[in-house]
Amino acid sequence: MIRQPVNERQPPVDWLMLAALGGLMMVGAFFVFSATMANESVSLTAWYNQAWFRQICWYVLGTGAMATLCLVDYRIIARWSIVIYWGTILLLIAVVIPGIGSTQGWGARRWINLGLFSIQPSEFAKLGVIIAMASFLSRPVDELRSPKLFWKAIGMVMLPFILILKEPDLGSALILLPVGLVTMFVGGVPPRFIVSLIGASGLLVSLILIDVLFAPPSWQIKLEDYQRRRLLTYFGIDGVPADATPAQKAEARRQSRNDSYNVTQALISVGSGGLTGKGWRDGTQNALGYLPRGVAHNDFIFSVIAEEKGFMGSVTVVMLYSVVLFTGIRIAGQARDRLGKLLAVGVVAMLFSHVFINIGMNIRLMPVTGVPLPLLSYGGSSVLCSLIAAGILQNVYIHRRS
Amino acid sequence: MIVFDQLKKNDPHLRTLTLVVLLGMGVLIAGLWWVQIISYRHYTENQKSQSFRTVRIPAIRGKILDRHSAAIAENRPSYNVILYLDELRHEFRAEYARSRQPQFVTNALPAWRRWLGADPVKKQFPKMSLAQRRALEAQVRYRVVSNIVQRISTIVQQPAEFTFEEFMKHYSSQLALPLPIFTNLDQNQIARLLESSSTPPGVDLEIQPTRYYPGTNLACHVIGYLVRDNRSLEGEVADVNFRLPDYRGNVGVEGEFDAELRGKAGVKSVLVNSLGYRQSENVWMPAEPGKNLVLTIDADIQRAAETALEQAMAGSVKGAAVVMDPHTGDVLALASAPSFDLNSFIPRISSNNWFHLNSPTLKPQINRAMQENYAPGSIFKVLTGLAALEAGVDPNERISNPGYIRVPGRNKPIDDLAEAGEYDFKKAFIKSSNTYFITNGMRAGIERIIQLGQRLHLGEKTGLLSSQETPGYLPKIAEVRRGWIAPDTAYVCIGQGRLSVTPLQMAVMISSIANGGKVMWPRLVQRIEPADPNSDETVIEFPTKPPRNLLGVSDTTLAITREAMLADVEEGGTGKAALVPGMRIGGKTGTAQITNPRGQIVGHTTWFASCAPFENPRWVVVVMVEEGASGGGTCAPAAAKIYRAIQKLENEGRPSIAVNTP
Repeated sequence: MIRQPVNERQPPVDWLMLAALGGLMMVGAFFVFSATMANESVSLTAWYNQAWFRQICWYVLGTGAMATLCLVDYRIIARWSIVIYWGTILLLIAVVIPGIGSTQGWGARRWINLGLFSIQPSEFAKLGVIIAMASFLSRPVDELRSPKLFWKAIGMVMLPFILILKEPDLGSALILLPVGLVTMFVGGVPPRFIVSLIGASGLLVSLILIDVLFAPPSWQIKLEDYQRRRLLTYFGIDGVPADATPAQKAEARRQSRNDSYNVTQALISVGSGGLTGKGWRDGTQNALGYLPRGVAHNDFIFSVIAEEKGFMGSVTVVMLYSVVLFTGIRIAGQARDRLGKLLAVGVVAMLFSHVFINIGMNIRLMPVTGVPLPLLSYGGSSVLCSLIAAGILQNVYIHRRS
Repeated sequence: MIVFDQLKKNDPHLRTLTLVVLLGMGVLIAGLWWVQIISYRHYTENQKSQSFRTVRIPAIRGKILDRHSAAIAENRPSYNVILYLDELRHEFRAEYARSRQPQFVTNALPAWRRWLGADPVKKQFPKMSLAQRRALEAQVRYRVVSNIVQRISTIVQQPAEFTFEEFMKHYSSQLALPLPIFTNLDQNQIARLLESSSTPPGVDLEIQPTRYYPGTNLACHVIGYLVRDNRSLEGEVADVNFRLPDYRGNVGVEGEFDAELRGKAGVKSVLVNSLGYRQSENVWMPAEPGKNLVLTIDADIQRAAETALEQAMAGSVKGAAVVMDPHTGDVLALASAPSFDLNSFIPRISSNNWFHLNSPTLKPQINRAMQENYAPGSIFKVLTGLAALEAGVDPNERISNPGYIRVPGRNKPIDDLAEAGEYDFKKAFIKSSNTYFITNGMRAGIERIIQLGQRLHLGEKTGLLSSQETPGYLPKIAEVRRGWIAPDTAYVCIGQGRLSVTPLQMAVMISSIANGGKVMWPRLVQRIEPADPNSDETVIEFPTKPPRNLLGVSDTTLAITREAMLADVEEGGTGKAALVPGMRIGGKTGTAQITNPRGQIVGHTTWFASCAPFENPRWVVVVMVEEGASGGGTCAPAAAKIYRAIQKLENEGRPSIAVNTP
């Protein structure tokens, strides 16, 4: 590993990444505003209760958390990795318990209501897994050759994976797989393990899909019905037995049209944006409610941006993420030890998976799985988690020399 | 560049990671390029088609004016109360909230959650399935709308019937359009609505032009009526989502000149949200109003003709009256009885009215002035006389009438209603002697009579209103040369037998005698004017055509005939009932026998064909009544009434109608 020569004039933090993060947060605030203010009843509520303001509060809070995180050397934090990991696992267990976990009016039980606000433990579980994996795999490379350790690492990913799948939150669960895979790969787990791991996780994903799509109901993983249908929609399966009556088939087709509604509308939003877009707050898809109000400001915020700012806007967003991701990889390359490097690649893997799945879902490259777009989607846990993740990167960068 | 710096670095793992991220971002940008740039048009069209509804706006129908620009068909504002459902969304929401009673549940919360600020008392709404919620929403919307309808109903003092089904039909299929609540309010109701202090939200008063016939049944057969038809004409935008009520002219000039009168419908687009509620409107193609049609009809004479016709007999009259300017062929009045109310077709004819309109005995829809075949009876003696005089018959020659005439080839003699005696032309004409005209008609020969009839274009259409005209029947020359026997000729001579005409054709015939031998084309439409008189659009003129044919009869013959016609009225002839002081009228009566297939007489078609004033005829009046008593008794007085009305109009200083007299 070649280290860049230590230059005294090198900045203490990675300003380029911070600038990109700042840019993303600005875009986020503006478009959460645009996506929610089209709704009359929302614009009538007090300004401090409106989504854009809450989002800014989360940005401030998250930036504070990021700064605080940077004060403590990541190696000190990593010593607590076991505690952090099991803490998040406990939260994940707690969320499944009906008295503690809350559904927030949605189908899945994903939130813990803390009165003033609620948190989504699965977001924090991702961070927990990154820190735990990084510190677990940062031991000498020779030790990683032992299969026992390899299985342990896999267990560390699979435990939260299964718990999150139980909520159910397929999207968040699937994010853990690339995170685990990338940290193991960069950490130096022998290639044959990695190959079989990729094979295994590929098999796992396809098994889950086959189970969800084709297995008889009693054999299926308990997914919310709508989630199952989303997957069916993506794969173009109507889910009707071959011997169904015409009425049943028609009903299934209607259902599948309803299910594909969000994606269809997101595509229309993105596509009708064209090169330059319709202008901020001038997007019709959102204003007229074709893009469902419930998702326009979180999972489908990207289609609002793409409609209102066009191809230029969406490429700008992709570029901002690219800056964050590539500076992240650079930080991994500059890290003083393997722990720092693994932390950095873990965060990059997580952010990349989010960005790719979310934007991909807006243009029908990916099935709709409910993965938020880091920093842009409305939501406290997601914003906080993304900024803490960025804080980890900065932390690795700041302490690359000491 | 940070990306390439990293690729150069000697760290295979990070290099792979960089490549994967680069690839991922590349895929996203390529995908976005595909969706936003390549497929831009496709998605924009999708977006438009789901959020725009187009509405066809019918154009204002052109007016139909008489020759003095008095309106026979025009448009009046119809006031409708309409309700914009999109403005009621707050009410829908509020009512929905009211109809869902919350339950309050007290939960035993663990101490730490209470410490965190969770409230143990929770407001909760009873759970509903999607279908239940939809049903409740529909009920709520109906309740809100029906309350408003009731409020308006009290204000305008008109009971309202508004069913749930009606509402749902509008809601599911026409949400982008306002809901019509009351149509066609009267002045009092409008005043009450405008004065009421609290108009419910979303209510609006809409003014829509509606076809209106001020004369109700005036010239109804000529005008024709409207039927509901919202379809697009050629040249209009055909692909629209909604169509506002529009009408198509059926028969008459409304039908014949429908394309001109109808104008060109416009289109407005309504931007709707995902629930189908209206957001905004934009007229992107305004409707072009229809053109005005100026007829040759004189509304006053038309009214006089209609009144005279209706009063010709006790009971319901079936008949026709035609008033024509003999010099131009302009139809000044074209009346047919029974008539019908043109306004009853707007907005839609009631089944009761429709039933009456299709009465098999009265047949009010038939334009009897030109759509039915009639035996002309004795008025045809005018033509027989012309043929005989032209063939060289001396008008002073006397022919003895024994009270009947025997015709070779027929055992039974033909009766002559004129008393027995000696008859010259004039006496035979005014007494309508069958013996005289059969004798002299046969002398002239059937071919001369047919040729004269052909020059008058009997048996042919005049082309006035093609959809309601019959050509009548005149035997062909070839027909009279083969298998034609003397009695056939005898019957034709007195306007019976194998011969049928329309009152309009008889008006043309009398006109040709009045104007010195010109067989004119009848004219009904003078011009088509643009709706806006100041616009530079061209006026389409239908000028008087040159004569269709010439009678080919000497002036002497015409003069003898005109004098005989005058004598019929003024010298105690059959037409003496048509006498009008101050106006010298010449005419001929006719009473044609209607026989059933067995030769029995079942009724009479009575006629009076005339022209006035004698010195320079400017008016031709033909009256025909089915099942009348006699031409002189039923039709001549009706004609006199029409002449009196014309006389009165002239005395009142009505500008001369014969504007086009050469």
